[in-house]
Amino acid sequence: MMTEADYYALFEAYADGELAGPARASLEARMAADPDFALRYADFTELTGTLRAYRQRQQAREQLRGIHAAMLAAETPEAAPAAEQPAKLTHTVNPMLRISRTERRLREFWSGHRATVGVAASVAVMAVFATLLGLDIWRNSHLPTPSGYQALRREVERIKKSQKDLKLTLNTQLGKETAPVVASKFSGTGFALTSEGYLVTSFHVIQGADSVLIEGRNHQRYRAEPVYSDVKHDLAILRITDKKFTGFGRLPYAVKSGQADLGERVFTLGYPREDVVYGEGSLSARSGFEGDTAFYQVSIPVNPGNSGGPLLDERGNLIGVVSGRQNDAQSAAFATKSSYLVRLVDSLAATAKADAPYHLPRYGQLAGSGRPQQLKKLQDYVFVVKVYEKD
Amino acid sequence: MSRGNPTSSSLTPTDDALIAAIRTGDERALAHLYRLHWPMVSHFVLQNSGSEDDAQDVYQEGVMVFYEKVRDGSLELSCQIKTYLYAVCRRLWLKRLTSKSRFGVRLLDDEEHGPYLNTGAEEDVLAAEEQDRRFNTMSEALNHLGEPCRSLLEGFYLLDKSMQDLTAEFGYTNADNAKNQKYKCLVRLKKLFFAHYKEEPI
Repeated sequence: MMTEADYYALFEAYADGELAGPARASLEARMAADPDFALRYADFTELTGTLRAYRQRQQAREQLRGIHAAMLAAETPEAAPAAEQPAKLTHTVNPMLRISRTERRLREFWSGHRATVGVAASVAVMAVFATLLGLDIWRNSHLPTPSGYQALRREVERIKKSQKDLKLTLNTQLGKETAPVVASKFSGTGFALTSEGYLVTSFHVIQGADSVLIEGRNHQRYRAEPVYSDVKHDLAILRITDKKFTGFGRLPYAVKSGQADLGERVFTLGYPREDVVYGEGSLSARSGFEGDTAFYQVSIPVNPGNSGGPLLDERGNLIGVVSGRQNDAQSAAFATKSSYLVRLVDSLAATAKADAPYHLPRYGQLAGSGRPQQLKKLQDYVFVVKVYEKD
Repeated sequence: MSRGNPTSSSLTPTDDALIAAIRTGDERALAHLYRLHWPMVSHFVLQNSGSEDDAQDVYQEGVMVFYEKVRDGSLELSCQIKTYLYAVCRRLWLKRLTSKSRFGVRLLDDEEHGPYLNTGAEEDVLAAEEQDRRFNTMSEALNHLGEPCRSLLEGFYLLDKSMQDLTAEFGYTNADNAKNQKYKCLVRLKKLFFAHYKEEPI
């Protein structure tokens, strides 16, 4: 009986091709007939094969290591001899060819932590911007914004009903000579400034106007054109251009050129709706929104449409022009001071046309009479200002 | 290292010539190839948080895969050598990084090396890993074999010594005795090797 070692001797001889013809043939025949025997041979070849491959692998590894070392030596010819020389020479002779150890370390750090550094940097940048933005928003939200201020011109579109009334009146009063009425876009209040046909309203009422119509209490309508606008003080002067207009007659109120006193009882007339509306209160501050000294603050409840209305004191002197209100405060309305109106008229009078001079009413007729009597006289001089815009 | 034509070796005709030269065992050709593609791989590894030593390890491993396939004649190259080496080294480095890192790894690739997928590198790397495992088992088995078997087999198979030398070295009376001893050692090695090798999960 052969031992396994004996078989291995046989296998080795067979694998090396040293086996003589008959022995070789009998071995091959046995391998073909006996699968176990063939497996045993396969194990033998795998074992020796692995050993040989292992050896080759080791040799190849040595070879590559040698190549790498040779390559490095060829790449940096200075490096090898420099290492043997005293240290001071390496730095003085070849300062440029070597990367210092610190720089090398830095480079390694950079290549290793580049992604992390990038993420950290972008987070930092984002944090900075978020903070700045947040601060800005916070600060803005604590500022009293002009959005608290509301100009009081009225959008007429909302009330469709008025259309019908308007059309009806037109047809009865003017016959059929007018074309179908285009709905006015905004409306405000205006009042007579001189008996010659000048009117005052707020600038923001006629802002962007294509054409302006004046409508009185008795539904008398006149065409008007803006003559002058003072954006800063929210004033506008209109002139009636209709030929059939003959003049207002004597105005019942005088325009006060000085300032009114705190606490004076004041009232206004206006057209926040189709009908004229009376509003009463007192002069609560001598400066307007955000301390604007061109305006009064008055405690009259006003609504969109009141803009441009006259503000009068108890004796019936015109002391201001209603302009706007503060949304977030209880009944705080603002009116342009009449002194600015006087100044504006004075400056305009110098350049006025001869056929339409400015004659401001000097004396009022309202002093002493009761409020209802005052209003009866007044309401003929307060008008709806209707503004049409191009579509 | 003065090869006749070391210019633009990434072109396929030169690749073919290089492979042919390496197959015949031309060490200069191998050295040329090694030097040619080293900058690419070293750059890649350094760029992806590796050190110079890592680059060397990965590159040698990669060239080894290539070299063994060339020597076997089993290399089927569907792309340039450069691309193949890049793909192999990329795969090897990715594997190392993933085993090191707790996080998912994303590699920065050099666009110029083109599509590194479908180069067959994946399978070749897997085969090389299998081969590695086999060699490791073999090395383990040799260590467990004990003296004098280990020295005898290492002498014969790994250090390429002749039987005569080994007979003298180990003090056997004649070469036949040494041979018999070698066969016995081989049988023991076989048992150790296959016991370990087949038991491990694949």
